[in-house]
Parts: sequence; C-alpha cells; structure tokens
Amino acid sequence: MADSPILVQTAPPARIITPTMLIALVILGGWLVTALAASAIAPYDPDAIDIMNMLSPPSAAHWFGTDQVGRDVFSRVLFASRVDLLLCVVGVLPPLLIGTTIGLLSGYFGGVVDNVFMRIYDLTVAFPFFVLVLAIVGVLGPGLLNFILALTLVGWVSYARLVRAQVLTIRESEYIQAAKCLGYQPATILSHHVLPNAVGPVIAYAVSDAVLVMLAGASFGFLGMGAQPPLAEWGVMIADGQAFVQQAWWICLFPGLAAISLGLGFALLGDGLGLLQRKGVTA
Amino acid sequence: MSGLETSKPPLLEVKDLSVSFGGFAAVKNVSFTLQPGEILGIVGESGSGKSVTCRAVMRLLAATARAEGTVALDGRDLLTLSEDELCAVRGRDIGMIFQNPASHLDPLRRIGQQVAAPMIRHLGIGKREGLQRAVKLLEDVGIYEPEKRARSYPHEFSGGMKQRAMIAAAIGCQPKLLIADEPTTALDVTVQARILELLKELNRKTGLAMILISHDLGVVADICSRVVVMRNGEVVEQGPIDDVINRPRHPYTRLLIESQPGRKSYGTAGGPDRGTPLLSVENLSVTFPAGQGLLGGFGSSNSFRALDGVDLEINTGETVGIVGESGSGKSTLARSIIRLNTPSGGAIRLDGQDVGALGGEALTAFRRRVQMVFQNPYDSLNPRMTIAEAVAEPIWRHGIADRKAARKEADALLEMVELPSSLRDRKPQQLSGGQCQRVGLARALALKPQLLIADEITSALDVTTQAQILELLVRLQRERSLTLLYISHDLAVVSSLCQRVYVFKAGRVVEQGVARQVLSAPRDPYTQALVGALARLPSAGTIPLHNRS
Repeated sequence: MADSPILVQTAPPARIITPTMLIALVILGGWLVTALAASAIAPYDPDAIDIMNMLSPPSAAHWFGTDQVGRDVFSRVLFASRVDLLLCVVGVLPPLLIGTTIGLLSGYFGGVVDNVFMRIYDLTVAFPFFVLVLAIVGVLGPGLLNFILALTLVGWVSYARLVRAQVLTIRESEYIQAAKCLGYQPATILSHHVLPNAVGPVIAYAVSDAVLVMLAGASFGFLGMGAQPPLAEWGVMIADGQAFVQQAWWICLFPGLAAISLGLGFALLGDGLGLLQRKGVTA
Repeated sequence: MSGLETSKPPLLEVKDLSVSFGGFAAVKNVSFTLQPGEILGIVGESGSGKSVTCRAVMRLLAATARAEGTVALDGRDLLTLSEDELCAVRGRDIGMIFQNPASHLDPLRRIGQQVAAPMIRHLGIGKREGLQRAVKLLEDVGIYEPEKRARSYPHEFSGGMKQRAMIAAAIGCQPKLLIADEPTTALDVTVQARILELLKELNRKTGLAMILISHDLGVVADICSRVVVMRNGEVVEQGPIDDVINRPRHPYTRLLIESQPGRKSYGTAGGPDRGTPLLSVENLSVTFPAGQGLLGGFGSSNSFRALDGVDLEINTGETVGIVGESGSGKSTLARSIIRLNTPSGGAIRLDGQDVGALGGEALTAFRRRVQMVFQNPYDSLNPRMTIAEAVAEPIWRHGIADRKAARKEADALLEMVELPSSLRDRKPQQLSGGQCQRVGLARALALKPQLLIADEITSALDVTTQAQILELLVRLQRERSLTLLYISHDLAVVSSLCQRVYVFKAGRVVEQGVARQVLSAPRDPYTQALVGALARLPSAGTIPLHNRS
C-alpha cells in the first residue's frame, strides 16, 4: 500500500473541553453536588418556622437571612435546587424523546404523516411559548405535574422540527442510499444510520432548552401555577418574598441569583456543545 | 537559479515564491516566468499548491497566509504593493476566472452590469458606455443575442454561459494576463471543449497571456505551450508541453501521464460471453414531478422525464459502460436498477425476474446479487461508523455470519481492496478520498454480489488515485467474476474499461455498441461531439500496466 494514512478534511481534533465548557461544567457540577447533599450542607430545616427571627438580614447565623416566617433562606435555596434541577431533567426528557421519534419518522417517511405533524407544529408556534403553556396549565389546574405535562405538549414540536430538518438532509446522503441498497430494514436504517447522525444538534438544543424549562419552572412557581408553597422552589421563594422586597431584599435576591447561575451553566454548556457540533467533533 | 535567457523581458516573473498558512507551507520556492502572449499551464492534483500560487500572484490570500519571494508583473513586485495600488492592478492588468462560475457571479445583478463593472471602475467610462461595451464583449465570447442576454440574471444562464460571462468580465479592461483557475472543471465535456476553444481564440486574436490551472493534463496539453507540474507545493518539472509529455523527467510527471484516462486499456476487451442477459432493462421510463412543494405538488402537469424508453442489456461477466453528461439520466438508471426510484413505465429484469415486483425474501436475495458503489467517497459512508464496522454490517445483518465472524470477513475484504489493517478502526473523515472509495467497494462486495454498479466512483478523485481505483476494480472483477455496470461522464475512462458502451443523452440511449467502435467511429452526432471534445494527450502507444497500488 503506497499511500500513507493521511488525515484529511478535519483539522487536528478540536479540544473537547473549552474554557466555556469548563465554566459550565463547574457550575452544573456544583449545583448537582448541592442538590444531592442539600440535607448535609443546609444548616437548618428548610421548612422550620421561626417567628422570633423573621425577616432578619444576612448574618453569621443566617447567611442569606430569613424570610417572613423566619425560615432560613440559605437552606431553602439549597433544597430548592433539588426541585429546580429535577424540573430541568423531567421537563426536557419527555419532549425530547417524543419530539425526536416523531421528527425521525416524519422526516424519513414524509407524506401525509409528515404533513399532519408539520401543521400541528405550525399551530403550536403560532402562540408564544409561555402563553400556550400557561393556557394548558390553566385548564389542567396548577401543580408541578400538570406544568410538566403542558411543557411536553408544547415542547416536543421544537425537537420534532429540528430532527426532521436533520433527517431530510441525512436521508438524501449516499450512505443511507447504500444502506437501502444493502437491504437493511427501515427500522435498522433509522436507528443505526439516521439517528446517530441526527442527534448532535438535538443534544445541544436540549441543554439550552433546560434553561428555558428552568426559567419557566421558576416563573410558573412565581405565578402560583407550578410548584406550590410551602415547597422550596426558587420561583415560589421569589413570589413569596416580593411583598417584603422593600424591607428584606435578601428573600428575593438569593433565589434569583441561584436561578441565574444554573441557567448560565446550562446556557454555556449548550453553547459549548453547539460549537463542538459545528466543528464536527464526532463521538 | 533562474538562468532563463530570454530576449524579451518576461510579463510575469515569479521567483522563489513561498506561501505558508500558520506553520504549514502550501507553496515552497516556486519559480516560473511567463512571456507576453504565452499560455502557461500549471498542473497538479488537489493540494499541490497550484491555486494558492495564483492567488498569491493576485494577492487574494487569506489574512493568515504569509507570502515570500517576488512576483513581478512587468517588473513591478506585486507582493509589495499597497492595497490601493493592488486594486488598480487587479481586474485592470490581471483578470481572473474561477472554477465555479455560479458562485462568482452576484445572483442579484444583471449579467451586463457585472461585465461592465470592472470597466466602469478601471477605465473611467460612463455607465451607458460600459453597458454597450459589455454587450460587445458578450458577443465576443460567443453569447447569442447579447443585448437581450445582458439583461438576464445569472440563474438564467447555463454553466457554460456563466463561464463565458466571467471571461467577458475578466477581459473587459484588456488585461495583460488572464489567470484561469480550473475554468472548465465544473462543466460538461462538450461545453469544456467550447470554452477552451474560446480561450485559445482570445489568445490568438489579442495576444492575451494566460495561466491555466488544471488537474487535467489533457486540457493543459490541448491549449498550453509550456507547462509547470506541481506537487506538494513544489515545482517538480517545467518546460515546453511536448517535452514534458513525451519525455517526462520526474517520476511524478510520468505517473500523472500514465494515469490519464484512456492512456491504457485494462485488458478487459476480450469477446463478451454471449449468454443470456443477466440484467435487461426494457423500455424503462422514469418521471419526476416538477417543483415538488411542501404539499407534495399534486396536479402539476409539467413533470420531468429523467429516462425515456431506455433499453439495455448486460450479460454475465460483461463490463458495460454508460456515458453521458450531467442530467442525461445515467444515475437515475442506476438508482432504478437498485430500486431507489420507482419507474413510471417499462421493466427491469434480473435473470428474467421483474425487479419491481420483488418483495420479502426475494427482495433480500436480489439485494445480495446486485450492489452499488456510490459517487461521493465521504458521503457514502456513515460518518459515525468505523470502516471495519461499515464493511462487516451487511454480512451479519443478512445473517451470513455472526458479528465476530463478520468482523473477520470484513478484515479480509479490506485487505482485498488493499487497505492497511492499521486503518480498520478509523472513521471516514480520517481517510483520504481514495481510501474511502476502497471501503465503499469492500462494503459492496461483502454480500458477494453478481452485478456491481459503479456510479461515477472516480469522479471525485485525483487522476492518479482514479487510475489506482480502476486497476483495483479490474482486478476484483477478474478475481470474483463480477458483472460490472460502470457509469461515468468520462468517455475515456469508460472506453478503456468497458467492452460495450451506451451513450445517454436527455434520458435516451443515443448510441450503443462495442467500446472501441463507438470511440473510433461514432455514428450519432452527439457521440461525435463527445469524442471530439475529449481533451486527450497525444497517443502514447502501449504503456504496460504498471504494478502500483
């Protein structure tokens, strides 16, 4: 064999861990540890009411101060991370799975099914995301479960559209034609040849979608449509504290900062993954 | 180093030109000269630095590139000119035309305006006069109804007409030098011949000096008086075209010449077995609905006929070639045979069985008997799979062996297509185009097919790689007694490889017969044009099949 193995097309393998990714992983890792170890770190019971110490400013005893019924804000922020982190996972996974499956089928087979799903997509994006979720939660009734249900009903369309667009280009590629020519079953082609090449952007999108879900969770908690008091959830905490924001800024500030930092973590991760995607890093 | 004694001062003198991107040296110490009125060819494969050299002359390199040496046009060093001075040179003294005319024309401006723009800019003439001159130029480059055509937009032009318009824009200011970077590569062969004829005529009439960059030695031999052969950023040989082609001194030049399609016959021209046809195509028609919109484009009456009543037969053990330009329907035929298209009329029969009616087990059996190798080396392999996995997959999916045995079988297949075992666990992006095409061949042969369809499998490869792949194909065909259907736009490749050829035009077979006859005595006017358009090297007598792979 005369030709030596030459590397073509791709530049030297891009660094997987960019500074952005590192920051993202540190933030997300920190919150994950916090959520898992909340009961060990938290100095107080998050729901313990202490009327004597209500609305006390940040101090050595209460780092983030206390709220209107004397609960320790620091402990509540820690415990709330469990709810919000879980919300991100539970709020992203169902639409991702449903949307990806529908996108795969409708992109690959096309035809009537495709048309029906794409019209549903058009209908859904005709409404602003929050308004539609709010309307569905309004019909189903407030609560975390209904919130996630509403999120899934609205969220899958974005994934379906994204995957469908990927599949439309992939199904025309010669390796899919070769797979057909080699006599593979459609299910095999979809799962082994189309899906692996279509998921990259979906993963990147899912991570940035987590930001949206988290903010939606906090917002709906704030509006009283999501998590219900007294459950410690950042949005609920901010909602509770807003009446006292003049005297006790700390009740709202710290849950807000927590929400922002988690959102930032997901956003940076999404950015990093998207960049890797564009650079064509596989595996 | 440049001991060229010439009576006239050279028009362009490139001396010790080196270009590097970051740490990578793309061009190393390149020197050549160009006399006024001369056509100089620069030949090399992709990555040889020929385009970078000419972009350095025009100072069109990216900001990260560093160019050293001297590039003197009429004694002025272009590399030291300021941006303002450069703008006066570009388009005024040096014109340039590119490979893909479509991407170098502004889609939103009329052709006439684009041809007139450099003249208005450099010659200080008014808009009205510029347009008048543009019309004249369009006429000069052979565009019919130039006044009407000047008001057209680029998308209304064919590829050949766009390239003519590009030439018109480039010669408007009567430059001293025209640089043509692969001007005919994106065009069909008959169009290519006409564009080359136009360039030759321009040179004869106006004495315009040209540098023609091409990967195709045939094209260069056709129109250039001197040639520079480049490889890996270095000039390996230069001299008058006849000397270089008939008495090449550098081994690479020799390889390049031997690799030219049609230079040698692959010894498959033995008499075809006159058995029953293995595959027969009867009166096949394929239509595509035109303008398929989101809603499926129901009820559109103007559909496109890709194939129109095609009859074709392939006997067992035969090598049959299909030649045609882009859009002639040759790929549609291949896709119909392997059932990626549904014919709208006619039948395809394998051993007398109607392929279109197959289903279930019979279809699986058909898949094993007929396989295809695709055009694009990278696109035809799943980027997420290692090459060994890709080759093994058909074997275990068809239940011929379990996964472990399939891996072993795949290793044997990769060895058969001459891929070193160290590449087994690589993904397609980590291989060269030629290597990927070998993987594609191995995968197609994994099911031990009887009939192999090869659709333009070498058109994306460099000419020396193409020769290697063709040799491999011939060897495999002999060893595995394959029946081969070889599809190509290149008449020279087909005629050196195949026993019989079919010539396609606009979805019909216009001529068929024994390859040698078709090439030496074409009957159909279209085939005659194709044969006439072959930019071939002067006949070389017999060159023994070289044992290189």
